Amino acid sequence: MKLHYDWRLSRVIDGDGVVHDEVTWTGKRSAGAIADRLWDLQRGRLSPEARTLAERFPDAQADGLGAMSDADWPALDDEESKLFEAAAPILAKRGVADAAGDTDRRLDMLVSAAAELRSAWTTSEARCVEWTGLFLSEVDLDAQRDDIPPAVAGADSIDSAATALSVNPPAHSPSEVEWQAIREHARGVVELTDRLAAHEDAIRALAHQHVPSLAALIGPLGAARLVTLAGGRERLSRMPSGSLQVLGAHAAMAAHRRGAPPPKHGAILFSMPQISRSPRWVRGKIARFLAGKASIAVRCDHFGGETWDEEKVSEIHKETEAIKARFPRPPKRR
Amino acid sequence: MPKPLKLAWGIRKEGRSLWTRNAVKGVSVRAERRKKDGRNEWRRWDPSRSKVAASLLKTRGSAAALLPESGSTCLYLGSSSGGTVSHIHDNVCGAGNHHGGQVVAVDISPRMMRDLVKLAERRPGLVPVLGDARKPMVIAPYLRGKAEWLHQDLSIGDQAETFVRMTSAFLADGGTALLSLKAASERWMEGGDDARYQHTKGLIENCEHLDLIEVIDISVFEEQHAVFHCVRIP
Repeated sequence: MKLHYDWRLSRVIDGDGVVHDEVTWTGKRSAGAIADRLWDLQRGRLSPEARTLAERFPDAQADGLGAMSDADWPALDDEESKLFEAAAPILAKRGVADAAGDTDRRLDMLVSAAAELRSAWTTSEARCVEWTGLFLSEVDLDAQRDDIPPAVAGADSIDSAATALSVNPPAHSPSEVEWQAIREHARGVVELTDRLAAHEDAIRALAHQHVPSLAALIGPLGAARLVTLAGGRERLSRMPSGSLQVLGAHAAMAAHRRGAPPPKHGAILFSMPQISRSPRWVRGKIARFLAGKASIAVRCDHFGGETWDEEKVSEIHKETEAIKARFPRPPKRR
Repeated sequence: MPKPLKLAWGIRKEGRSLWTRNAVKGVSVRAERRKKDGRNEWRRWDPSRSKVAASLLKTRGSAAALLPESGSTCLYLGSSSGGTVSHIHDNVCGAGNHHGGQVVAVDISPRMMRDLVKLAERRPGLVPVLGDARKPMVIAPYLRGKAEWLHQDLSIGDQAETFVRMTSAFLADGGTALLSLKAASERWMEGGDDARYQHTKGLIENCEHLDLIEVIDISVFEEQHAVFHCVRIP
């Protein structure tokens, strides 16, 4: 005995194709109501009619693909077709709207936007510094670097910019329109700086909420980038720690497949001071250790484990110090 | 002007170019060329943007055998924003679905689904489904019966395994199934792309319900891709 069903009706059929019982949906039919039914069916649930029949025939085997394969299954009439055709897009639209509820997608937008902003900022900021430096030859481009864009943006002439940076006025001044261009450019840099800061604050907040343990271990920005690179928190938490260790080292991994030595760590792990400030011969060991801890942390976050506190994280960092202490000297080259 | 060669009701080939009879007159789906021919309008089907079109041009067998009949039930797994789907719909449903066909288009990406829903609003008979194309229960409630034509175009690992599973669940006896295999999506394998194609070929030949007709090499149009043309054994 088999139980076949679709959104309209349900049937109990025996091995010879004889219909033993049938229940048809008698409620008010609308596209929205059909969409609700399709939603349930897609998740593998029985329709209410199928449930009624399942109670009447407890030994009937429910088969979700049965109705579709059944040659005797009644075809949709015109009105049903019309309602069904209206229902499918409703469900699809619902799914599209629900995409905004997915924190992974939101984090991805934020992280990508911040990465693009940062790359724009680096270019613009460097240009602003060089441009100002061309006119104000006495400005220290290293020590005063951070002061240059706001000083130029807030000045009303190159001379007042020179005063703001406490240097002598330039030997050659830009023309009025040229100065306008320099100042607008500097304003753009200042604005980019603020926007980048706002983006990163948003990432920090979202990361602390989405992956609290991982954020505590490797910092919220790094944690967010790891999630984005892996394609979501779930994927990151299912990833072996060896894969997590080399996230962000695509080029090195591609080279490794062609015979180069494997990368020790990806870009995100490297940005942690525990790795980048360690001597080169222990970086691989620490990266391996931290990647292992990070993959446990993200699993705690994703599968509802206990969130790591400061104490646990500092314990881990103490252990990285111990690894470093164990290998004070570079290995002998053979 | 070369004489048009009719491949199906709404699909024809003129020299090296393919055209489908536009079901929504005056509208291009992705800025393709349109042209009038009497009362009908034809839409150019770009083989470098559609793997089905590419395989129609590259097959050594009959191109018509790769296509669904008008009025049939079709399942398209991995429809993306619906470029190829729209051409299939042109032929299977026609304007206002006067053929009474059904094209179920499945994709997992909400971004793509957005465009697909917009497309489906103007094309009756086209059913957009947002969901994982590897899960039969996600698709089954939408199909009115087994599909006479199925195309799988998913860039995931285990494309061949999925194809075998999905054809066994959804393909009607004697139905045509096309698998667009993206070699770059498969796991690393000794021997590179050829080994991946061989592996896929082996999987299809070993399954009982499919008959492999041809492996169409479409690397001219789409790098690292091959289309596997299969028919379900009754």
